[in-house]
Amino acid sequence: MQEDDRPGLSVRLDSVTKIYVVSGEELPAIRGITLSIDKGEALAVVGSSGSGKSTLLHLSGLLDRPTTGAVFYGDRRVDQLPASDRAVLRNRSVGFVFQNFQLIPRTTAIENVEMPLLYQGVSARERRERARDLLTSVGMGDRERHYSSQLSGGQQQRVAIARALAASPGLLLADEPTGNLDSRSASSVLELLLSIQERSRMTLVLVTHDTEVARFATRTVRVRDGLLEGS
Amino acid sequence: MLLVFLGLKALLRNPYRSILTSLGIVIGVLSVIVLVSIGLGAKALVLQSIQNLGPNLLVVIPGSVTDSGAQVGGGTDTTLTVEDAQAIREDCPDVWNASGALRTAAQVQSPHANWSTVILGAEPNYLPVRDWHLAHGGFFGPEEEASAARVAVLGRLVASRLFGLGNPVGNFIQINHSPFRVIGLLSSKGQSPMGMNQDDMVVIPLSTLQSQIMGVTYVGVILAAAESPDRVADAKREIRDLLRLRHHIPPGGRPDFDIQALSDIAKTANRLSLILTVLLALIASISLFVGGIGILNIMLVSVRERTREIGIRMAIGARPRDILLQFLTESAALSFFGGLAGGLLGILSILAIRSFLGWPAPIPWEGSLLTVAGATFLGILFGLYPAWRASRLDPMEALRYE
Repeated sequence: MQEDDRPGLSVRLDSVTKIYVVSGEELPAIRGITLSIDKGEALAVVGSSGSGKSTLLHLSGLLDRPTTGAVFYGDRRVDQLPASDRAVLRNRSVGFVFQNFQLIPRTTAIENVEMPLLYQGVSARERRERARDLLTSVGMGDRERHYSSQLSGGQQQRVAIARALAASPGLLLADEPTGNLDSRSASSVLELLLSIQERSRMTLVLVTHDTEVARFATRTVRVRDGLLEGS
Repeated sequence: MLLVFLGLKALLRNPYRSILTSLGIVIGVLSVIVLVSIGLGAKALVLQSIQNLGPNLLVVIPGSVTDSGAQVGGGTDTTLTVEDAQAIREDCPDVWNASGALRTAAQVQSPHANWSTVILGAEPNYLPVRDWHLAHGGFFGPEEEASAARVAVLGRLVASRLFGLGNPVGNFIQINHSPFRVIGLLSSKGQSPMGMNQDDMVVIPLSTLQSQIMGVTYVGVILAAAESPDRVADAKREIRDLLRLRHHIPPGGRPDFDIQALSDIAKTANRLSLILTVLLALIASISLFVGGIGILNIMLVSVRERTREIGIRMAIGARPRDILLQFLTESAALSFFGGLAGGLLGILSILAIRSFLGWPAPIPWEGSLLTVAGATFLGILFGLYPAWRASRLDPMEALRYE
């Protein structure tokens, strides 16, 4: 799926809009945004809640499709691909980190990390080795048999980050990754994310309402009422 | 393969629910197998009792009867005679032996007891025709038949009622207040296909019954044994032609007698018990079907409950068909293992029925395999809709689902 750009993936949103229809009423979440995210960039998307910044992230990660406009990965238009091709792209090229962690309930840490590889058909032994390495690299090596309910918020987010990295994606998307954490685990999770980005030079998009967090990024864009503001 | 494993794992995460869900299938498969086995057992019993009567046997009865066979031995007309029986014996090449017989009900007394039973008047060659044997004593011969002697051969049940467990040969009994000497005791024969206990009977010479008890000259039935089972059809045709001639039935005219081969009755009984078996299986299938609906129900609940999990899986790269396969595996596994458990319990139940009830229920191996396969298919069928719904979820909405 990836072309010449192994470390990072460049993403381009071309005048995308997203309009949700809730009980007959049209609610525009994004009114028209054009944005290029370069390979290896660490981009912070800031804005107040309801500004449309999360929707922007979901559109970039192919979790959702724009109402109008186009999404490109490199030179390839991807928003109109069929559901199963988009799933394959999400699997191989995109890693998600969510505000509420989104670990699968009643599943151990290591099983969660293995899951993206499972859908690639990687052998059990290889999966386990890779997941173990990743858990160790996020400082969770001694918790691989723990269920998500037995982990603290910061620990769950570390597992989620390991899972996002499992398939070595070119694009890492983090949606308020520190939003549900206390300040101490928040800063350590943030440090982890940034150090990973620095090391692997993958493209990182970080959605946050916290301008302090955004300080760590190489570039910051601000979303307001579904539009990009300045920058 | 991995996704199949994934489906199984999800079931193990919820063991009680999985067991309860598959219980419907377990009971369904169990009842199909057990009821089919009981039906097959009934068939075996019927065939066995027909075998007891003799596969070579032809029964000539007077009057016309329906072809259900229910009236064998009980024709109402009085057109058959001992001479007919003798002619059949002598002139039909494929008939090995034949005997006229007539029956009535009467009170029988011994010095100690009395019993109401069937008195059968028969010719001396009745026993070989019926392929029947004596337990004690002898049977009457042509002299007793010619002289209408008062001798009697007792069936097992009658003998035990009148004389207990002792040997009755040599004792006297009274039939309608006339004394008869007991000269023999029949071996046990069991039930006839019509449900009559053939051991509840006293056999006396035909002439004695005709002249001294009933005051008639006809016979109720002529039993003929063909040379071998494959000659039954020929023997039947020969008897028909002979009797039409003797009774002056014009060509195309309606005969005043009817001939039943026991093999025909066996065929009918076979068909009836097959219908019974199919009917039982059908009824049991309903419970299997209900079990399938149980799976549908639980899978729908499970998809709803795990919507967020489905969203997560889709976010990290599960394709719609991966999700479909995962849930389909779950329902297939529920029904397959349920079916397997039901099959094993069914076979255990059949063994229990055999040893505690003495019913000759065979283990329907092919039927069991077919039922388990059918149950699995049913699980896949009913799991298809929930799995399809899961696979069509929008990843974003599924992730937000609370």
